[in-house]
Amino acid sequence: MSKKTNVLPGFSLSLGYTLLYLSLIVLIPLSAALIKTTELSFSEFWHVVTAPRVMASYKLTFGASFIGASINAVFGLLTAWVLVRYDFFGKKFIDALVDLPFALPTAVAGIALTAVYAKNGWIGSFLEPNGIHVAFTPVGVVIALTFIGLPFVVRTVQPVLEDLESETEEAAASLGANRWQTFYKIIFPALLPALMTGFALAFARAIGEYGSVIFIAGNMPMVSEITPLIIITKLEQYDYTGATAVAVVMLLISFLLLLAINGLQWWSSRRNAEAIE
Amino acid sequence: MSIEINNISKQFGKFHALQNINFNVPSGELVALLGPSGCGKTTLLRIIAGLESADDGRIAFHGDDTTDKNVRERQVGFVFQHYALFRHMTVFENVAFGLRVRPKATRPSEAEIRRRVRELLGLVQLDWLADRYPPQLSGGQRQRIALARALAVEPKVLLLDEPFGALDAKVRKDLRRWLRRLHDELHITSVFVTHDQEEALEVADRIVVMNHGKVEQIGSPQQVYDQPASPFVYQFLGNVNEFESRVNKGRASINEVTVDSVEHQSVDDAAALAYIRPHDIEVLKEPNGAPSFSATVNYIHSLGPLVRLELQRQDDERIIEAELTRERFLQLQLIEGSQVYLQPKQVRVFLKH
Amino acid sequence: MTAITVTQHVRYQTKVAHRRATSEPAWIRWTLIASALAFLTLFLFVPLAAVFTEALRKGWDTYLSALIDPDALSAIWLTLIAAAIALPLNLVFGVAAAWAIAKFEFRGKSVLITLIDLPFAVSPVVAGLIYVLIFGLQGWFGEWLIDNDMKVIFAIPGIVLATVFVTFPFVARELIPLMQAQGKDEEEAALVLGASGWQILWRVTLPNIKWGLLYGMILTNARAMGEFGAVSVVSGHIRGMTNTMPLHVEILYNEYQYAAAFAVASLLALLALVTLALKTFVEWQSAKNAAEFEKEANG
Repeated sequence: MSKKTNVLPGFSLSLGYTLLYLSLIVLIPLSAALIKTTELSFSEFWHVVTAPRVMASYKLTFGASFIGASINAVFGLLTAWVLVRYDFFGKKFIDALVDLPFALPTAVAGIALTAVYAKNGWIGSFLEPNGIHVAFTPVGVVIALTFIGLPFVVRTVQPVLEDLESETEEAAASLGANRWQTFYKIIFPALLPALMTGFALAFARAIGEYGSVIFIAGNMPMVSEITPLIIITKLEQYDYTGATAVAVVMLLISFLLLLAINGLQWWSSRRNAEAIE
Repeated sequence: MSIEINNISKQFGKFHALQNINFNVPSGELVALLGPSGCGKTTLLRIIAGLESADDGRIAFHGDDTTDKNVRERQVGFVFQHYALFRHMTVFENVAFGLRVRPKATRPSEAEIRRRVRELLGLVQLDWLADRYPPQLSGGQRQRIALARALAVEPKVLLLDEPFGALDAKVRKDLRRWLRRLHDELHITSVFVTHDQEEALEVADRIVVMNHGKVEQIGSPQQVYDQPASPFVYQFLGNVNEFESRVNKGRASINEVTVDSVEHQSVDDAAALAYIRPHDIEVLKEPNGAPSFSATVNYIHSLGPLVRLELQRQDDERIIEAELTRERFLQLQLIEGSQVYLQPKQVRVFLKH
Repeated sequence: MTAITVTQHVRYQTKVAHRRATSEPAWIRWTLIASALAFLTLFLFVPLAAVFTEALRKGWDTYLSALIDPDALSAIWLTLIAAAIALPLNLVFGVAAAWAIAKFEFRGKSVLITLIDLPFAVSPVVAGLIYVLIFGLQGWFGEWLIDNDMKVIFAIPGIVLATVFVTFPFVARELIPLMQAQGKDEEEAALVLGASGWQILWRVTLPNIKWGLLYGMILTNARAMGEFGAVSVVSGHIRGMTNTMPLHVEILYNEYQYAAAFAVASLLALLALVTLALKTFVEWQSAKNAAEFEKEANG
């Protein structure tokens, strides 16, 4: 790589400090987890991370996260559309409140959702008589994970939708496309990278989530126990190596997701950059 | 297919974008809507297309009232200023779009779509770009693809919004000549919007000059250039010198210089403005008896085949521009500071209101 | 015609045109709005309202006594301390990282950006765990800490560390794209005029990024005060000692003291609402600044 001359000062200081702080706070502690797992042989490691109770927790965590992120993809797109395209009373207020799951501590979200969806709660009391049990079941996990992922799709799709040129839609209309054809042939493909980024962000966030889920889940082994809770349980039993083994699996998955998200964002920004040109 | 525009008016808030616009575009003609930005020309074009609706008035295609028809049903080809190509589709798919979105009953077969798209890409001479994506094309290529896409639906009329506005000067000139030749081949009734008088004069069969939401003049390029109907048209089309003047019974006087002004025979002593194009001024070294302004040469711009002089009148010290051929200029042997006499060859006089 | 009326005209034009050629029938519009609102009501508004209703279910007296309980007060205090330490640390880091990344070209830059994002992707429980592995009894420094009579895990330093970890990327994430977009023209101009590095930072760079900085700080603070999973692993839940507000909520809830739990939760919910209000205000301000800048640029 050719070294471009840059006259601004402070490069070694700022980069040096960045790398030092990053190493101390993030990289060295994370490597501790990887080193800890080497205490286990591969077969021991494999045994721990594929135990039936752990497998059941993966299934729940990934399944519920996927469903939650999918719900958010649909309704997040809808919400972004409504906020960008239409005018209605209270729009600005609602726009600001969409970020509530970012700002509200997860424990508060957890107990609030439990209160609302429990047997005697505002919504639960309507659902229970119809045989729909939410609180203390996997459905509750889905509800909590939908809540915490809600802003991601809205906030990634919204700016792209705002920047969409109306000319392209007019061009489609002048060529004879009806509104629905214009949406799925022109608008939706333009939104797709952002939508997928939002989905991936919501999914990644949901997989690691702990606070909002444990109150509503009921935490029954094999049924409604999420993977982060497995780690906590093993820690409480002083099984540090076991907890770390499961944590390493989660770390690897998070890292892969992060790479996927970066790839999606690159794709998304490339599409938008073309629009400016 | 002719376009009839009847009494179109449009208001945005308190702003009158269009006021009582009336004219017809004869079948097969290429018409330019010319005017400064904000004059309402683009709004008018969008109303013809059905992208916008008029507050008042009607639009008809060949006698067929289309005012209440949606843009989808009007069968117009619209070319946008910034092309509005579909970025995620190949050039081929862009051109095919209008055919693919047709209802099943009227949609051509896949083979027919391929044939038609190939044919159109051949027409705009870009068949070798079929598999590219719009961001990979140059501005001129994008504009031609946008045109091919608009033609694919076999529109009754073709509407172009500042079609060359976003291109650089060289490409612009090539492309507008190409558009003219294309129009001569296809003979589809076309309207294009421009603020560039040179472009309108070169390309159009007929020019509609607009200002402040009104039509100032309609005519062939020759007519609007040689016989402007209003001071605005005079000033908007080409350089012009403006003089304060008075008109009395068919004679207009600019200080001591008096010229004939036959169209104002019945006017009794009224204030007026007289316009003289720079190339309609005869420059003399010595007075020849006929009425003339005496002036001093301030600057000489002698680039190209024409020489432009900036002159200062001696009576009121105003600046006049004159243009003469290089031959004539050399003959006169002018230098900056020379004393000259200016005789108007052609004057256009408009009464002040 | 003045420039203002032209722009107004253009704005009207695009808006009206939009309605005419490219909009949906009213019944579709209202169906979409209604479905979006129904979704937001079920998942956002009802739970938010529930926090406050549950908190006041047993009246103001119970509410207030839950808040002035000594354990609650000490939890509030600890939460404030953790946020007060994490915020400046990550602030300095964010500015340094953004300076290096936005103003210079170097090998491995995109890897660095990804690594900065890493704490976003790591489960908070795992974040807590890694500090236990280092500073816990059986951890790398476990024996050394006991020998020197120091405690990190199940004590305040652990809570602070976990908080720093989970809020690590917030300021940097806001500043990097902002400073990249601004380029380095102004800094170079200042340099040519004779300013030193620190002068450039204080007088040119920081004023330009102040709204982004504030935005990042608001997000950092909200997350720092609300963090649950990571802190829960390292805290040991010692009442009056190592309990933060979210952990206190959990303890009260598990002891079936619902009204008290929701009372403390309502404080956190209020904090969230204030955060959102501030955030909206900052977004509004920086949008206004950007608009003014654009207006100036266009003459």
